[in-house]
Amino acid sequence: MLNVKNLRKSYSIGKKTYPVLKGVDLSVAKGEFVAVMGPSGSGKSTLLNCISCYIPFEDGNITLGGQELKDMNENQLAKIRNEKLGFVFQDFMLLDGLTIRENILVPRIIQGSVSRDAENRADRLINLFGISHIRSKYPAEVSGGERQRTAVARSLINDPLIILADEPTGNLDSKSSRTVIEAFDHARNQMDATIFMVTHDSFSASFCDRVILLKDGTVYRQLCKAGQRSAFHDLLLDAIKEMSGDEK
Amino acid sequence: MMTMQSLENKLQKASRKQAALYLLCNFVSLMLITAYTVILFSPTILNVLPEGGDSRKQLYAVFAMALFGCVIFTIYAASLFFRKKSRQLGILMALGASKKRLAPGLFREVALLSGFSSLTGIVAGIPFVILLWKIFRLFIVDSDEMNLVINYQCLFVSAAFCLLVTGCACIMAYQYLRKTNILDVVQEEHKNEPVKELGCWCGPLGIFLIFAGAVAGYYSGSVYQALFQAYPPSWLNITYAPVFIGLYLVMMHTVIHGWVSHKKKPYKNIISRSMMKFQGKQTVNSLIVSTILIAGGCFAIFYIPVLATAQMIDINNHEYDYAYHYRADQNVPSQREVVDLADSYGLSLKDWKECPYITLGMDGYEEIQDENLAFHVEYSPLLNSGNFLSESSYRKMTGQKISVPPKSYYALTGTQSSGSLFANVNATNLINMVTREKIEVTFKDYLHFDLMAGNRKFYVINDLDYDEISRKLSPVWNGTLVYFNAAGKDNYNFASTFFHTFVDSFGPECELPLYYDPVAKIAKEEKGLTYWGDTDSMSAVSYEEADSSDFRLYWAYMPQFRILDRNDFLTTFSVYLMAFMFVALICFAAAMVIGYTRCQAIALNNRYVFDDLKRLGGSPGFLTAEVRRQCIIVFRIPALTGMALMTLLYSMLLYANDNRLTSSELYSLLVCLGVLGVLSIAFFLIYRYTVRKIEDDLGIRKIK
Repeated sequence: MLNVKNLRKSYSIGKKTYPVLKGVDLSVAKGEFVAVMGPSGSGKSTLLNCISCYIPFEDGNITLGGQELKDMNENQLAKIRNEKLGFVFQDFMLLDGLTIRENILVPRIIQGSVSRDAENRADRLINLFGISHIRSKYPAEVSGGERQRTAVARSLINDPLIILADEPTGNLDSKSSRTVIEAFDHARNQMDATIFMVTHDSFSASFCDRVILLKDGTVYRQLCKAGQRSAFHDLLLDAIKEMSGDEK
Repeated sequence: MMTMQSLENKLQKASRKQAALYLLCNFVSLMLITAYTVILFSPTILNVLPEGGDSRKQLYAVFAMALFGCVIFTIYAASLFFRKKSRQLGILMALGASKKRLAPGLFREVALLSGFSSLTGIVAGIPFVILLWKIFRLFIVDSDEMNLVINYQCLFVSAAFCLLVTGCACIMAYQYLRKTNILDVVQEEHKNEPVKELGCWCGPLGIFLIFAGAVAGYYSGSVYQALFQAYPPSWLNITYAPVFIGLYLVMMHTVIHGWVSHKKKPYKNIISRSMMKFQGKQTVNSLIVSTILIAGGCFAIFYIPVLATAQMIDINNHEYDYAYHYRADQNVPSQREVVDLADSYGLSLKDWKECPYITLGMDGYEEIQDENLAFHVEYSPLLNSGNFLSESSYRKMTGQKISVPPKSYYALTGTQSSGSLFANVNATNLINMVTREKIEVTFKDYLHFDLMAGNRKFYVINDLDYDEISRKLSPVWNGTLVYFNAAGKDNYNFASTFFHTFVDSFGPECELPLYYDPVAKIAKEEKGLTYWGDTDSMSAVSYEEADSSDFRLYWAYMPQFRILDRNDFLTTFSVYLMAFMFVALICFAAAMVIGYTRCQAIALNNRYVFDDLKRLGGSPGFLTAEVRRQCIIVFRIPALTGMALMTLLYSMLLYANDNRLTSSELYSLLVCLGVLGVLSIAFFLIYRYTVRKIEDDLGIRKIK
């Protein structure tokens, strides 16, 4: 589904150049729920932004559903973002002037007009994520958890190949975080969605099938869930501890 | 069913508050520019302000400043609008909207907002100027000349400005769409624009450059003229450039370091200082534009007290209540007729004095302009005319005990002046224009008598020389000078009737402006040249318009009646005064709008900082103080700098007249300071309103 090979990206501040991604290799299969974890500055968000094509990268390849993203022009990339990718951001990125239902429909509106099918799909997503009571409200009138579930619903409206989520629980309390992660879980189980999530939160990551640990711009280790979620959570904590211990 | 266009319409409706600030700025600037151009193109103004004259140049200069200011702050308002808009754009881009898809809606919105606000601004500008002009006429001064005539060609300037503003907004929209990093677009709203950190030296250096630039700019013309024997070209104004560099450095120092040392209390005001510093680029731009506008406004408004005070003091200093002179061939009312006329108004006259004077030709040196701006000085055996009194006549008229040696002459100037621009002090020959006989003379010195000063060109010669040179002069070259006082309280109606009777008694041969020189005309015609006074360059005066400012200011035989001049001062100078007052109002209004907009921007951009401070326990009092500290800088620094700059410039101009400040000049500077006091109060009130508005917007109003 998603293949990343030898991805390199650096930032320039003044005359200095700081490499952030130093050759990242990874892949995500269809229907997989994958998290990327790592300390601050390890390059998690940069990796996600490169895959989203929000920022240009210097070297490497990103292939999505068999299509190479590197050589695409702006219009092709926009089409990919709209049809093949779904996005969930830490600060929700909902449009304040639109209702919850209208926000969910935005990717369809961008395509052109909104069909009856699209409206029905939006209503199904609204029901699936338990936000039907706020469908006519505006983002400013609902809670953070509800906003993020709206964002998850929006990411699924075009039935994308993969959902890219950047710290989706970063701005939420534990209860809201859990509802959002459960929303991803529903999406994966009931809609066969593929999810690629960047997170700091080991609890949220423990819901995933696989966790990629990133350190200093390279893949440090990958962990796969074999049994219970709680056991996987413990395994994750040990791996993070080990990664931090290495730093000492 | 929702489409892209209906989505965009809905988003535009939701973000109308952001658009309101842009609409307001654009509307105000177009209204002000239109109002200004109406004034600038109006025949009412152009007929009064002489072409090529200083007053008209000053109006154009201030207009250029106002235009510059309006362009900058409209572009700034547009950038503010796009910063707010960028989040919307970024989200749509992140969700897959291509630039091609977003472009039509964005350009439509920009064109609609710019077009609507510009057109309403232009339409509002005309009633605005008419209303303001009517208020001036109703409450301040009214005269026939003040009937405002509008030349609608001025709308071309507004239309050009509208196109410029819309074009700039479209370019900005295009730049946002061209950004390849979508995250930059999303985060644009919270992007800081810190200024380049300069050391503490930048403030003092800035002040030095402002002074150095002012002095260099002021004196560069005369230095150039002396060095190259040529009139200074317009590019020489570049020598004023250090003023603007200095201004920039002063504003940088204000934003980066402030003008109060924080060494002892490094944490004092640290939050407001850091907020200012991280929004520094736009703050510095706003401060500079506001300063320039306030300076331009002060330049215009100072014209009024300087002119009025000088005129009033000059009128009060007149040695006699009534003074006039006339050519001997004119049939003006006799002493008996004047006394009878005064009687009919219940007024007695006293101290009647009159004496003859003669008009002679003088030789001298004139500047002849060569090609381009170069000139050379050339001796002319017949240069211009002078009105000469004998020493005994002068003693009689003035009471001054003087003695003029033979073959010498004195020139007249005011009691507060050391010299005169109008006097020919290089003459070696005085010429009888009928017989062409000459006497050789040398310039001795200046005599001081206000009623004979200025461009009336009076001189005094020895009695014997006077008798010799005046022989065989025809009445055209002879004249009479008359002074008298009112016994008791003067009567305006008498003065007015006498003035009109006096004007009516002159023949068409004397319907000439003050600058028309009969000797220079003869000299030119003898060389086969046309005298410039007979070309269209010379503004004409007409007996039909004896109450017009043109006539009162420029008629060659204009009498000086104290009560008439004093009472009619406002009417005579009405168009000048109102034009400059209007221009000043526009500059100050623009500066106030910029200050208001900048403070709003500070509040909008730092909203999240204030929210964080609230969460950290910042009391309403603390938060309000943080807002006030920033707003006060936005208003106070440009006001102080602009006002100080213009006070300095005017002091320099007044001092440079004769290398000293006369009592009337000092008095007019004091009046200017009074005007600045009133202006400061106006700025303070706007500052207070702005702060209250921001406190309400941020929800941090301190409850008393």
